[in-house]
Amino acid sequence: MTTFSEVTAERQIKSAPLSHVSVEVGHLYLEDYQLGADRLREQFALVTPWLETVRRDWRARVPGGRARVSTCFLIDDCFGRFSTPAEVVPMIRKAADDNGLTIDYLARESACVSADGVPLAKLVADRLVPDPPPDTRGWRRSTSETGWLANGVRSPMPRSGQAMRGPLRWEPPSQNAKRGHSIFVDVELWKDGPDGRVWSCPFLASVWQLLRLGLLRNEGELPVQPVSAGDAFPADWDELPPVVRLNPAATPFSAYTTMSVLSTRFLQVELAVRTILSQVSVDPEVLGQVQERSADERLRLAEQLVDRVSYVFL
Amino acid sequence: MLIMGEVRTGLLQNSAEVPESDLSSVLGLLAGERVRISRRPILHALSPDLLTGVDCLLPSAAQAKIRGVGTVVSRCSITGGRVVQSSSYVRVTKAETGHRLPWSHYLARPGVIEVLGKAAAADLADGFLAFGLPGEHLDVGSISDRLMDTVQAAESLDRASPFRSTQTRLRWVAASGEPGVRFVLGEGVERRVRITYEGEFSTAVLDLCEDLALHDWLLTTLLVIVERARIGAAPRAEVSARLAPAVDALLHLWMPGARIHPSLAPLWESLELAPGFTRQWQSLVERVRDQFAVNTLALLLRETNPV
Amino acid sequence: MLVFAISDKGGTGRSVTSSNIVYRRALQGQDVCYLDFDFGSPTVGAIFRVSGAARGTLKGGLHRYLEGEIAEPTRIDVWVESDRDALRSKPPGAGQMVLFPGDEGGAEFPTFEGEMVERCVRLFAKLQEQFDLVMVDLSAGRSHAALLALAATARLPKIPCRWLVFHRWTRQHILAADGLVTGTHGLLDAGEAHGHHRALLADRIRFVRTAVLDPGAAELDGLRDTQKTWLSEFDRELRELASRHGVGRTSMLGKVPLDPVLQWREQLITDEDVQGTMIANVETVVAFDELAKKIVDDAAWEGL
Repeated sequence: MTTFSEVTAERQIKSAPLSHVSVEVGHLYLEDYQLGADRLREQFALVTPWLETVRRDWRARVPGGRARVSTCFLIDDCFGRFSTPAEVVPMIRKAADDNGLTIDYLARESACVSADGVPLAKLVADRLVPDPPPDTRGWRRSTSETGWLANGVRSPMPRSGQAMRGPLRWEPPSQNAKRGHSIFVDVELWKDGPDGRVWSCPFLASVWQLLRLGLLRNEGELPVQPVSAGDAFPADWDELPPVVRLNPAATPFSAYTTMSVLSTRFLQVELAVRTILSQVSVDPEVLGQVQERSADERLRLAEQLVDRVSYVFL
Repeated sequence: MLIMGEVRTGLLQNSAEVPESDLSSVLGLLAGERVRISRRPILHALSPDLLTGVDCLLPSAAQAKIRGVGTVVSRCSITGGRVVQSSSYVRVTKAETGHRLPWSHYLARPGVIEVLGKAAAADLADGFLAFGLPGEHLDVGSISDRLMDTVQAAESLDRASPFRSTQTRLRWVAASGEPGVRFVLGEGVERRVRITYEGEFSTAVLDLCEDLALHDWLLTTLLVIVERARIGAAPRAEVSARLAPAVDALLHLWMPGARIHPSLAPLWESLELAPGFTRQWQSLVERVRDQFAVNTLALLLRETNPV
Repeated sequence: MLVFAISDKGGTGRSVTSSNIVYRRALQGQDVCYLDFDFGSPTVGAIFRVSGAARGTLKGGLHRYLEGEIAEPTRIDVWVESDRDALRSKPPGAGQMVLFPGDEGGAEFPTFEGEMVERCVRLFAKLQEQFDLVMVDLSAGRSHAALLALAATARLPKIPCRWLVFHRWTRQHILAADGLVTGTHGLLDAGEAHGHHRALLADRIRFVRTAVLDPGAAELDGLRDTQKTWLSEFDRELRELASRHGVGRTSMLGKVPLDPVLQWREQLITDEDVQGTMIANVETVVAFDELAKKIVDDAAWEGL
């Protein structure tokens, strides 16, 4: 038997280390920062009992009680920058410590656009497979051209109809997976402007969820590797690694499932995130890896991605 | 289970052969996914798989209303830096429920269309191979077509191909059974292939269909060029000039079965016995080469015996 | 190569002339196609005598394609589907001749948007791959069809394209042809607005005179001397007018003589019509043949 193979013709996919759950304990925006450290402390005080509940829950589910729970915190550095990592990061840590909360990982939101040279947002955008409304027979104008993604059929617009044809009446939009009545959602994913593409907050939040679920690969490699940090942080956000490991003893950043403890003002964003996530096609090989690993641990994961993503809204 | 697909084959719109270094950008249709390139025995580049969601009636020879929901897989390849192929296919299976499920259910099964209700594989296969009017049923061809356009519009291509040519459309259906292949040449650009294979479906079947489509296109295209050259009717120099692009661009691309899995090789071989693709190709190539030889000879004679 | 046929006024013989150019080019061995972008009256099937598309097609034509309803517009192989015997068998060495009709009952587009331009771009690119000559017959005047063509070609800078402006040999037509190109919202203005380089676009525009009466022609022998003198005098005036308006000889690609056949019945003129039944003039065919060659002859298109 003779064999011949070429390296460039083969495909290899790395697998990601996984915790059981990745808990997002907070999300810092400019306006939160402006309210000062007290505001952060208040937030962490609210989060701590929920984190405990999650830990308890997973300990009960995992044989031997060895639940791997990692915590993370996201800093918004996309929509208005403020202060410096050198000042902000220690403040966050301190506020968490005061509540007995350990933040394992800290991430910059801009990492969801591009991290270590990998265009993560583009990577996810290319993997959107829009939910087809009934009577979609083949190719139709895709999200990649419009920058919008819906969960159904938009209201038809009288646009370029031929002359001498009457105007169309208004017709309602319709959700594909409706139960009797529709809840139609249409999400703006990005805007193209003179300075290039600006990704929307829900879109970056979707990338963030996929990163935490360990489901993204760039040419088969894991795109974002957490970098361990000492006690000193840079004076420029760009110099802060995309994901920083603050706790050396932390379990892996990515996890089978995610839980986010968020303010209710993020409800709409997260509805949009779920609309996006339910239309992202993840590499079947990567899904298979996760499936196998969880089966080895005798865990049953929800089949659908969006069902592995949960929230507590405070 | 039935698998059905459509391969479109055409000439890459570039004046020269596209070098290996440009293939990754031309076929890089999915960020973060590599274009797979093999160099032996012929330069061949394959794009990552793309998915398109559909929810529509499936073609049925009996005009039955069969609704299917799922995703179509598409990919694009370039052979020899010259020939571009865009291929889409689906595996049709029976749904476990009679109604449509959340979209993520289908996303988790790339390339599968689930039929809601009853369907007979033979009826679907006949309906699909009938090339019905567009606009009523599943149209995998429109997806291949779109993908082809995207590739042809690549920034690095100059859109100045050495000769005009027509794309061919090869529709194929495959099911498991006693291994066999039937190839039907349509009147225009349409081709129909039925394949039965042993064991599980794998993309090796797709590779075979693409290889058949590639060689059928080469043959079709060379036949048109030779016919247009008007051998015997037009002046020799004119004939040679019309044949030249074929010699430059096509003749070395003939390699039937080069990338076929050994288990499917006998199917190609059976097509070589009848109708005998390579036999016809060889005779055409000899005809082209003879023309060049005769023309060269005529030029030499004119030089040695000036009028 | 993409060639756009346009005229300021109706009745210039734009469609029949461009159809005949396409036919001649096919006979010269090139693969050609004809797109009916005269959206308000999609009747070019009649010129090619394809009865299934005499008033447009019912199978999904350019209207429905551009509106995004169908993935590909219907194509008609004239050599196979024409009702005229003389057209129904492809002569040896001739190229393909394919017609893309509009939809029966189709109308002008009151406007057009990005998606339609996108579809138009894809169509032009795909046809360029297959055909040596892609003739696009546009509605008369400043139409959305013309704007669509300008917008689409601006996005296809790698594909060579040329514009033919058809006009009759009268004072009004000469002025109108000039206005269509250089006037306000004319081709150059609109082209520039859609991303064309004005001077480069101007280089790609030539005029074609139709239904031209040659004062020296033998057929005019029966005219009175006063008529003949007036004709030559007026012809000279028109020539001066034309050259003052940039529609003169240098920017003219060719002219088609007045032929009764074309006046009464818009049709392709076959060799049979000239040599057999002799209903058409040989000069007409010569003019079409010339135009068919000049369209692709770079020497005829050097910058002015």
